[in-house]
Order: sequence, then C-alpha cells, then structure tokens
Amino acid sequence: MSDPQKDQVLGHDYDGIQEYDNRLPNWWLWLLYGSIVFAIGYWLWFQTYSIGRLPLELYEAEVAAAAEAALERMAGQEVTDETIILISQIPASIEAAKGLWDTHCSECHVQGEGKIGPNLTDNYWIHGSKPLDILKTITDGVPDKGMVAWGEQLPPGKIQKLAAYVLTLKGKNLPGRAPEGDLVEPEG
Amino acid sequence: MEAQSVETRKIVYDDAIVRAFIAASVIFGVVALLVGVLIASQLVFWELNFGLSWLSFGRLRPLHTNAAIFAFVGNMMFAGIYYSTQRLVKARMASNFLSWFNFWGWQLVIVGAAITLPLGLTQSKEYAELIWPLDILVVVTWVVFAVNFFWTLAVRNERNLYVSLWFYIATIVTIPILYIVNNLQLPTSLLHSYPIYAGVQDALVQWWYGHNAVGFFLTTPILGIMYYFIPKAAGRPVYSYRLSVVHFWSLVFLYIWAGPHHLLYTALPDWAQTTGMVFSIILLAPSWGGMLNGLLTLRGAWDKLRTDPVLKFMVVSVTFYGMSTFEGPLLSIKSVNSLAHYTDWIIGHVHGGTLGWNGFMAAAMFYWLVPRLYKTKLWSVRWAEAHFWIGTMGMLFYVVAMWISGINQGLYWRALDTEGFLKYPDFVETLLSQRFLYHMRLLGGTAYLTGFLMMGVNLLLTAQAGQKVNGQATVKRLPRYTGPGFWELVRGAPAVLSALVVVAAILFGLADPTQSPILLGIGTVIVIAAILYGGAAKKGWHHLLEARPLAFTILTLFAILIGGLAELIPTVVIRKEVPIEPVVQTAGTDSLGAQAAEAVTAEATPESKWRQKPYSPLELEGRDIYVREGCYSCHSQMIRPFRHETLRYGDYSRAEEYIYDRPFQWGSKRTGPDLHRVGGKYPNLWHYLHMRDPRNTSEGSIMPSYKFMTDAVAKIDNLPAKMEALRRLGVPYDESDIRNSVQTARSQAALIVTDLASQDITLSADSELTALIAYLQRLGRGPQPTALEKVER
Repeated sequence: MSDPQKDQVLGHDYDGIQEYDNRLPNWWLWLLYGSIVFAIGYWLWFQTYSIGRLPLELYEAEVAAAAEAALERMAGQEVTDETIILISQIPASIEAAKGLWDTHCSECHVQGEGKIGPNLTDNYWIHGSKPLDILKTITDGVPDKGMVAWGEQLPPGKIQKLAAYVLTLKGKNLPGRAPEGDLVEPEG
Repeated sequence: MEAQSVETRKIVYDDAIVRAFIAASVIFGVVALLVGVLIASQLVFWELNFGLSWLSFGRLRPLHTNAAIFAFVGNMMFAGIYYSTQRLVKARMASNFLSWFNFWGWQLVIVGAAITLPLGLTQSKEYAELIWPLDILVVVTWVVFAVNFFWTLAVRNERNLYVSLWFYIATIVTIPILYIVNNLQLPTSLLHSYPIYAGVQDALVQWWYGHNAVGFFLTTPILGIMYYFIPKAAGRPVYSYRLSVVHFWSLVFLYIWAGPHHLLYTALPDWAQTTGMVFSIILLAPSWGGMLNGLLTLRGAWDKLRTDPVLKFMVVSVTFYGMSTFEGPLLSIKSVNSLAHYTDWIIGHVHGGTLGWNGFMAAAMFYWLVPRLYKTKLWSVRWAEAHFWIGTMGMLFYVVAMWISGINQGLYWRALDTEGFLKYPDFVETLLSQRFLYHMRLLGGTAYLTGFLMMGVNLLLTAQAGQKVNGQATVKRLPRYTGPGFWELVRGAPAVLSALVVVAAILFGLADPTQSPILLGIGTVIVIAAILYGGAAKKGWHHLLEARPLAFTILTLFAILIGGLAELIPTVVIRKEVPIEPVVQTAGTDSLGAQAAEAVTAEATPESKWRQKPYSPLELEGRDIYVREGCYSCHSQMIRPFRHETLRYGDYSRAEEYIYDRPFQWGSKRTGPDLHRVGGKYPNLWHYLHMRDPRNTSEGSIMPSYKFMTDAVAKIDNLPAKMEALRRLGVPYDESDIRNSVQTARSQAALIVTDLASQDITLSADSELTALIAYLQRLGRGPQPTALEKVER
C-alpha cells in the first residue's frame, strides 16, 4: 500500500509517455461503490424479495386502475359484456369473487374443473360463453340440472363479480369433467 | 543486470500499414457519412427512396451502420493499434504478410458488405447483418490480426505492457467470441442462413453482441488509442496509473453484463432485464474513469488548446465519451427506458458516441499522425480548425434534434385522454410532428460530413506535400526475465479472490441461476478494493502482471467470459427460463391478458398443448422477404406491457410467441408502428395498396414504396431446403410438410389473390407481395392448439 504524493511520476516511460500515480478522486470511488450498493439493493428489492413490482405486475395495476375508472364512469348504466370484462381486470374484485366462489360455487364446480357442475376451464360452453351469457346463467340458474338461481340469493354486484371470476377461468384447461356443450374458439 | 545485455540495434517500424489503414478509414468514413445523409434525407423526403429496392431505407440503414462501425472506426482502430503498439513494445510488427492480410481481408469484408447489404443479402440482426461467408472472412481476418499482434508482443523489447495495450488485448480477445457466438447459423444456400437461436434466445444473444460491439469495438480500442495519443499530443504524463488499472478491469468485467438493457420491458425474463439495468448503472464509474484520465492528463496543457486542433478534437471527443456513458446508464433505468426506447433519443445517443467520441478521436489521431507519417506539416491548420467547429456544431444540431424528437415521440405515444384512451391514436400524426427536427438532423449530419470532407482534403494535401517516412528507434534487447512465473502471478491475490467470488456465485447460481448476480456484485466490490489497495501499488501485483502478456490475456478473457456465461447459459440452455407454451394465470386474467405474477406452466393434458404454430411455407417465404428488406430498421415486433401500447397495438407480446422466429425481428426503433399484432387487423386489399404506395392508406407516411414486389417472383422453389434447415434446428415440420411445401405455398397464395381478385385487383400468385401479405396477416396470431405428436419431436 502506498500513499502517492500528488503528481509524482512513476519511474518509467513508454515511448516517452510517463504516468503519474495520482489517487483516485474520492467522488469517483463513491460513485463506483455507491452504484454497486444501489445495484445490490435494487436486486434484492425487485428480484429476491419481490417488494418492487416488475413490468407485468405494473401493467396489471395499470389495467386495473383504468378498469376502475371506466366502471366509475359507467356507473348507473346498463350492464354489458364490457362491464363484466372490466370487473375481471380488477384484482381486488377477483379476490372478492374468489371468496364468493369458495362459499357458493366450489361445491359443484371445485376450482373450475367441475364435479357435479360442468368444467368451466375448457373451451366448451353449454349456456353460452359471452360475459352476459354467464351472468344470466348465474342469475337464473339451471333449475333442471340443479344449478341454483343465484339472483335470488346474492345482490347483482356480487353476481357480476362471480361472472367476471368465471371469465378468468377460461382457457385454464384444468383436468376434470369432460367437455360438454359447444366448442367456442377463444379469440386471438 | 548482466553486462552482456546492453546489446542495441536499430529497428524500422512498419508505418506503411498505418498509412493504408488511415486512407481506408477516411475513404470509408466519407461513404458511411454520405449514406447517413442520404437515409436522413429519406426520412424527410420519402421520394428519395426512388422506388428502387437497393436504395430503400431498410437496405441502406444497415449499410450506414456497418460502414460507420466496421469500415470507418474499424480501419481507424487498426491504424491506431498498428502505430502505437509497435512503439509501445519497441518492435516492428512481427509479420508484414499478416499485417497486409489483415488490411486486405478487412477491405474485402467491407466491399462485400457494400455489395450484399443493398442487395438485401442480410441476416437482419443489428450490426451483425453480414451473411455467413462474410462472417467467416471477418473471423479469419481477425484471427490473423490477433496472431500478428500477440506475436509482436512476444518479440517485444519493452518489459511491461502500457495501458493502451491492455485495452487492445481486451478488444482482440472479446470481439471474436462475440462475433462467433452471435453468428452461429445454419446455411441454406451460399447467401442465406437461419440463426441457431430463435426468439427470446436470439434476442438476448444478439444484444449481448450488439451492446458489446459498442463496448469492445467502439470503446476499448479507442480508449487504448486515447491513452497513447493524448499524452503524446499534450506532452503530459497520464493522470493516474492506478486509475488506469481500476477502470480497465472494472470496465472489461462489467461491460459484458449490460446487454439486456436493450430489451427492457420485452418478453425477456425479468431477472435478465434487472441484471442488464443494474450493471449498466455500475458501468458509469468505470467509463468515467477513462474520461477522467483523458481529461486530467490535459491539465497543464490547456493553453495549447487554443492553437492545437488535435487537442481540441481530443477534448470534445473525450467529453462526448463522458456524455454518452452517462446517457447510457440513464437510458438503462427502466422508467427512463420506457419513454425513450424505440424513439429517436436512442438514435441521438448512438450518434453522440460515434460522431463525437469515435469520429473526433479519429480526426485528432489523423491530424497528429499524418504529418508525422509524411514528415511534413499539416497542410492547413485553419481548415482543421474549421472542421472542428463545423463538425461540433453539426453534432450538436444532430443530437439535440434527436433528443427533442425522441422525448416528444415517447410522450406522444403514451399520452392518454381523460377517458383513458389514446390521445394520438394515429401513428403517422406522431411522426409528422417531428418533421422539423428531422430537417435539423439532416442539417447537422450534412455539416458533419462537410467537416469530414475538409479533413479528407487536408490530409490528402498534407500527404502530397510530404514524403512517406517510417519511424525508427534504437532498442536495447531485454534482459532475461527473472520475475515471478506464470502460475505465481495467476495465484496473485486479486486473481485468486476473483476466482473465489466467481466459484461462490456459480455455486449460489446452481440453486437459482437468476440469483447469482447479486453475489457477483458484492464480489466485484471486494475485488476492486483488493486491486486498488494491493495490486495497483507501484511495484505491486499488477505491475508484475503487465510483464506477462499471456497471464494478462487469460485473466482478461476470464473477466469478459463471466458476464456472458452468466446471462446466456440460463436463457439459452435452461428451458424453463423462457416459456414455450402460454402460462396459465392464477388470478386477474382478462381478455387483455393481465397476468398474475405467480404464473405456472400448464400441466400437460393433450388439450392443453397450446403452442405457436410453425410458419406455413408461404408465410416463411414472406418472412424471409421481410427480413431481406430490413423492415426491423423502422418497425418493432414487440409490444411492451403498457396500457398505451396494448391500446395502440393489441395484447402485449409474450416469449412463447417467438419460438419459431429465426432471426427474431423485435427491432429497436419505431419510425413506423409496431407490427407484432398487425395480422388480421386489415384486409389483404389494405396491405396490397399500402405496400404499393403507403400513402394510399396512410396519409403522410414516409415509408418507401414496395411496388417492385408485385413484379418480383417469390423463390418458393427454395422452400424445401429452407424448411429442412429449420427442421434440423428443431422446428416441427415433418416430411410431408417439406415435400408438399411448394404446393402448400401455392394454395395459400391462391386464396390471397382470389380475395384480391374479388375486389378487382390483379396480383400474381407467385409475386413476392403475395408471400409478404401472407406473413403480415399471420403476425401476432398467438399460440394455437397443436397436435401433440408434432410438438414432441
């Protein structure tokens, strides 16, 4: 370890080029060490402990916020396919719907793969696959097959959430009850 | 010291090769800038594409970038290395033959590029466009250069290697690794090939290469040149030897990691994106180490700045280096990148580096060297002064125009109205608002070219006024080496410490390959501190290492390999890192595809095998035409997960959609809109009209007309060979797919032309346009159910 004096020339030259052995500027060293410490912290924050939100999580939040704003604007208007789709984009609503599902629906549909009721995760639909079709099926039930008309037991807001929840099951293709109804090719 | 060692002899340096490289650099510099000015004009006046395929923007832009990087800076770099290395090691280049092989091999590559790129013979991977026969020539020429260089080091008459040579060594060992790994490809003919990587993997390898081509072709050799020519021209000692040591090792080690910052918010796995970002930020200090040593060396010589154009060019060059290496980390910060990516800001950034740092260092070196190589005075100092001012103003115009334009574009694209919809849904509108700035860029570029031409004249007249002279020196033969041996050095504390850190990171990485960068980060601090406080001392470990080029080279090689391996191996080798099937979402799914974080791959039931379908034969042919035309120069195929992008272009892009994309065509610039989900968006008729003249459908578009594609015949006879090559690379085409490919292509073409005919448009079924439409209509069709047996082959 040496303590170089300012502008002291090292005792050798290369093709006439001499070199000082000046200290590294402190601010430069701090910049270097500081950026490394930042990098480690950033890594821990985003990758190791997943505290910070990564691009897809941020996108999800962005979509949810936009959906909430849109629903707010649409308040009081007639419920459409879009309403249900917007609800399905809000994680908080879907979480609430999951609670309702576990209480009221999972007995027959389990996690969506079906047992007493049909499989809701494949691409086959008995009573239509559009959001409003699903909403209607939940509201009116299918008395012949033993599905309860939930419209008589739950308020409309909760039923809309449940319909939105069913949308999220689409395409999961969980192994369970064999497909029933008509094939509906998903879009895109 | 033994008495008999004072044997001296006279040597003559090979300066003829330096003169040759300088001439080539100036000539190709003019070409690169001219093409640059032409394509900048095309962005203002689309008519300047002349409706000719080989003059269209998409084909000339690669010519411009390749000429600037490999022809202009490449030849300048060789000139600087050949001149300074001989003097720094007090030995003539080891082999005249190898030197001239290097020269002519390189010029052959350049001429080959100048012919093939306008003809559309390209791989369409940025700065790696050259077709495979030229790639081989590049590698052979480089190996010849390397042999010549190391051979010269072996017969040197100077014990220790000066810092310039460290940077040359890093350049020489890194470039072939980057070049070969990124260009691994399977030829289908003498002029065409498919890369062995597809989609996400291809993207990562490409940008590992692309970023480090900037690092090890445009930065390290130029730093080496700076370390020789600045102290020479200023007549001042280098500011700090220990800063040289620390910034050299940290730069070569850290640079290689930062490639993924070109792929932020794409379908690249998150850990790789985060790695790219954090290493880019750490890279700031090592880069600025070079700037400091450059600028502070000029302390005490500031007065000379008034009179000496060489020093003026150097100061501005190093300042631009500092600016670009500040801008780089800034642009790598995710939130900044989300605004700047795909915009003109990036164009401004690279031009600051190339015109400012490379171009002005080249000018400084030429103005200093040419009078010495011809034993005369510079023909006109005033012309050099004028060049300096015109060039500097030109650059400022250029860069400032691109900053404003880039930030504007980013803001336009993301602007939403109060209802949450796009404020400027029409892409052309966001482009046309930049017209004035594009004029300003053109003006700046033209000014820079003017200055450069003045330099050409000045240097030519200087050379004519003088006569060629070759440098001479009297050298003492080196006494026998009595220092520590190879192993003793490699066992030195910093090397052992580095090795331990790497081993620990690997062990850590075995558990989870995506978590090891953090350990390496901590390790880096320790190693840098160790080099700083032990190794870089006056007669310390590093001083001894400089006397052993082999040990030095091997350690450099290790330093650059670590980052590359840590990023490429998990992504390319470990399959689970990059999904090939759609991931199933546990919650929060919607028709737009907002996706939960903890997504898991679908458990295999036959119905759930959803994969991207391989391209049909006609789509494949159309894709190859897309690749040939260099559409990626202006169009991305990567929709980032932002609401303003999904509103504009459709659902965000996912890794599994690209598994058959060879080469990947994500692009890096949106002069036009993203095309990933353009398939099915418009009828065939729209594409037909648009390709013939984009202004038919998009008022104000600056895209070239591709009318020539209606007459050109698609080469569908080559399809079986191409599909066979793809099959060998793992694309699930079977025997009958390949056997029937021409027939299948014809039937698909018939569907398109019949559809057009029903709207009174006659298009020949075997035209290139038909194939291209088939491809464009296929774009962005996500994974579809695929028969299991086909997937599993």
